[in-house]
Amino acid sequence: MDSSNDEALDIIITNVVATFRVRCHLNLRTIALEGNNVIYKPDCGKVLMKLRKPKITASIWSSGKIICTGATSEDDAKLGARRLARVLQKLGFRVRFSAFKVVNVLAVCSMPFSIALIDFTMNNRPIASYEPELHPAATYRIKHIKATVQVFSTGSITVTGPNVQTVATAVEQVYPLLFECRKPLRK
Amino acid sequence: MLNNNTGPVAKLYLSIIDDVIESMRELFLDEGLEDRVLDDLRHLWEAKMMQSKAMEDFRKNNINSSNFVLQLPASYSRTDQELTASVVIPASHNIHSFPMKTNSETIATFSLPAGLSYPVQIPAGVTLQTASGQLYKVNVPVVVTQAPAGQPLISRTMQRVFVGREAPAPQSSTVPPKTTRPQEVDPPSVPAFSLQLPRHSQVDIPPCQEKSVPQPPQVPAAEPSQLQGARSPEPDINLEENEQSPQREPVNLSMNASPCSQLLEQISSEEALTQTAQFKSRDIDDILKEVIEEEREKAERARNLAPAKNDNQSDPVLGLDLDFNYNELSDIVQLDGPAGNSDMEEEEGGPMEENDFLGIINAEAIKALQEGEGSSDGNSVSSSSDSEGADLAEAVEEDPLNSGDDVHEQDIPDLFDTDNVIVCQYDKIHRSKNRWKFHLKDGVMCYGGRDYVFSKAVGEAEW
Repeated sequence: MDSSNDEALDIIITNVVATFRVRCHLNLRTIALEGNNVIYKPDCGKVLMKLRKPKITASIWSSGKIICTGATSEDDAKLGARRLARVLQKLGFRVRFSAFKVVNVLAVCSMPFSIALIDFTMNNRPIASYEPELHPAATYRIKHIKATVQVFSTGSITVTGPNVQTVATAVEQVYPLLFECRKPLRK
Repeated sequence: MLNNNTGPVAKLYLSIIDDVIESMRELFLDEGLEDRVLDDLRHLWEAKMMQSKAMEDFRKNNINSSNFVLQLPASYSRTDQELTASVVIPASHNIHSFPMKTNSETIATFSLPAGLSYPVQIPAGVTLQTASGQLYKVNVPVVVTQAPAGQPLISRTMQRVFVGREAPAPQSSTVPPKTTRPQEVDPPSVPAFSLQLPRHSQVDIPPCQEKSVPQPPQVPAAEPSQLQGARSPEPDINLEENEQSPQREPVNLSMNASPCSQLLEQISSEEALTQTAQFKSRDIDDILKEVIEEEREKAERARNLAPAKNDNQSDPVLGLDLDFNYNELSDIVQLDGPAGNSDMEEEEGGPMEENDFLGIINAEAIKALQEGEGSSDGNSVSSSSDSEGADLAEAVEEDPLNSGDDVHEQDIPDLFDTDNVIVCQYDKIHRSKNRWKFHLKDGVMCYGGRDYVFSKAVGEAEW
C-alpha cells in the first residue's frame, strides 16, 4: 500500500457514506415522535437519526431510502446501517434490509513534505486543476478509478472515492507525483 | 394558606388556583352545587399542592431561616406543648405546623424558626427531618447546638477534634455534655450550614472549652440513625472514648449514632497528625462525600421504614446532595445556572412544526399523541417479527435483522424515566455536531422535587 519508499503513509478514513433501503414506506412523523435521538426536518422531508455506538448519522426519507454517514470504516457503516434498520423495525415498520452500498469514502493522508502546488499542477496539466482564488488545494481527479485527490501545499491530502480500496490505490498513484513536486528544505 | 415566606412559585400557583376557582364559581352555582363544594375543592387543591410542594417552600424558607424540621409521630401530639416549650426558647417566632398525612400516621411538622438560639433540647422519640428530607430519629434526649456559620467552622470543629484527641487530659468533668454555648451562637448568616455540621458530626465546639467530652455526645445527638441495630455503634463509641476521655455520660453511650462517630473517628484518625492549618484547606468535599454516603444509606432505610412522605424527594435529593450542600454552604439557592443533562436531553425530541409549539417532554404525552395515529402505520411489532423470516428469501443479499443488530436498549427506558421535567415553549434550539443549545421561554420545571417557573431559560447540552 505504500509508495516505493520504505516509509508507511497513514491513510486515515474519516468518513464513510452508505445508502440502503428498507423496502417499505416510513412514516416520518411516527419516527420523529417515537424514536430516540431523532431530529425531524419536515422542510427537507427527512428525519435524522443519530446512533452512538458506531457514531453515525442517518437521513431517513419516507420512501424508505436511508443515507448513513459518519462511519469510520466500511464495516462500521454496515453495522450501523443494520442497527438503524433494527431500530426502525422496533418502531413497528416492516423493514427489510436491502441494497446496502457504500457510496463514498473520505480519507486524509499527510505527506512528510510540503508540496509546490503550481509545479504539481503544471506537471499534471489536464488531470490536476488549481484555482487558488477558489480553493487553496489542487484537485487531482483519477478518472479510471473515479477518485479525487485534493492536494494542499502543507503536504496533507484528502482522498475521496467509492470505496476504501480505491482510496488506497489513489494514494499510491499520486504519491510519486507529489514526491516530484515536493518543496525542498524541511519536512 | 399564604405563608409568610411564600416563594414566587407558590404565589403563582396560588394565584392560578384563585383564578380557576373564581371563574368556576358561577358555573358551579349554575349546576346547582353549593359553594361549599367549591371551597372544599379549593382546600383540597391547595392542600395537595402544599403537600407536594411544601418541602420546597419549607426548604426555600428554611434555608433562610432554619432548615430543621421536626416531625413528631402521632403519639406525640399531646406532648406538643412540652416539645414546643423546650424547643422554642425565645418564643418570638411562630412555629409553622403543617399537619401532613402520611401513610399511617399524622405527623406534625415543626420548623424551627429563624433566629432560634441554640442549643435546642429535643426530647426522646422525636423524628427530625432536615430540609433535604433526611430523617433522623432521636432516641434519647439530645441537645442540638448550632454551629457558627462559614467554612472556618469545619476547620474549627476539626480543630476541636484534633485538639480533643491530643489532649484528653484537660477535659474536665465540669464540662457537661449538654453544655449550652451561647457565645457560640452568632446569629447564623448561614443557618443552613449549621445543620450541615451537626449532620456531619461536627457540632460546634467553643474555642474556649475543651470539647471532646461534649463532642461525641453532641455528635451522636445530632445524628441519630433510624436503624440502630444495624450499625455497630458501641465499639466505635467506646473506642473513641478510650482515647479521649474516660468521663462519659452513660446516656451518650447509649446513643446509637454510629455514622457520626465513625465519621468522627475517621476524621480524627486521619487528621491526627495534620496541622490545624491544613484543616482549613481540607476539602469540604471529603467530609461531604463521606456524609453523603452515610446519608444515602440512611435515606434508604428512611424510605423503607418511615412512612414519611419524602419518598419522592429522597432519590433526587440524594443525587443532588452534593449540590445542596454547596448551595447551603454559600447560602444561595441557585435557581439558574447550567441545566442538568437529563433535562436537556429530553427536549430535543420535540417536533418543531409551529413556532409556538408546546414541547411536551413526557413520554406518556407522546404516547397519547401517537395513539391517535397508530393506525396509519398499519404495522405492529408482532407482525414485523413474523414477516422477518418470510421476507428473507426474496431480496438479494439480505440477512435477517435479529437481535445481534440491537442498539443499546438500556438507555431508552431510563431516558424518560426521570422525574425532572420541563414544560415550556422554545425560542430557538440549535445544534452543532453534538452540542445543543436551547433558548426556551415561559416554562415550568420540576427538578429535584421542586417546581421552578421561568420566563426565559437557556441551556446547553452535549449528546
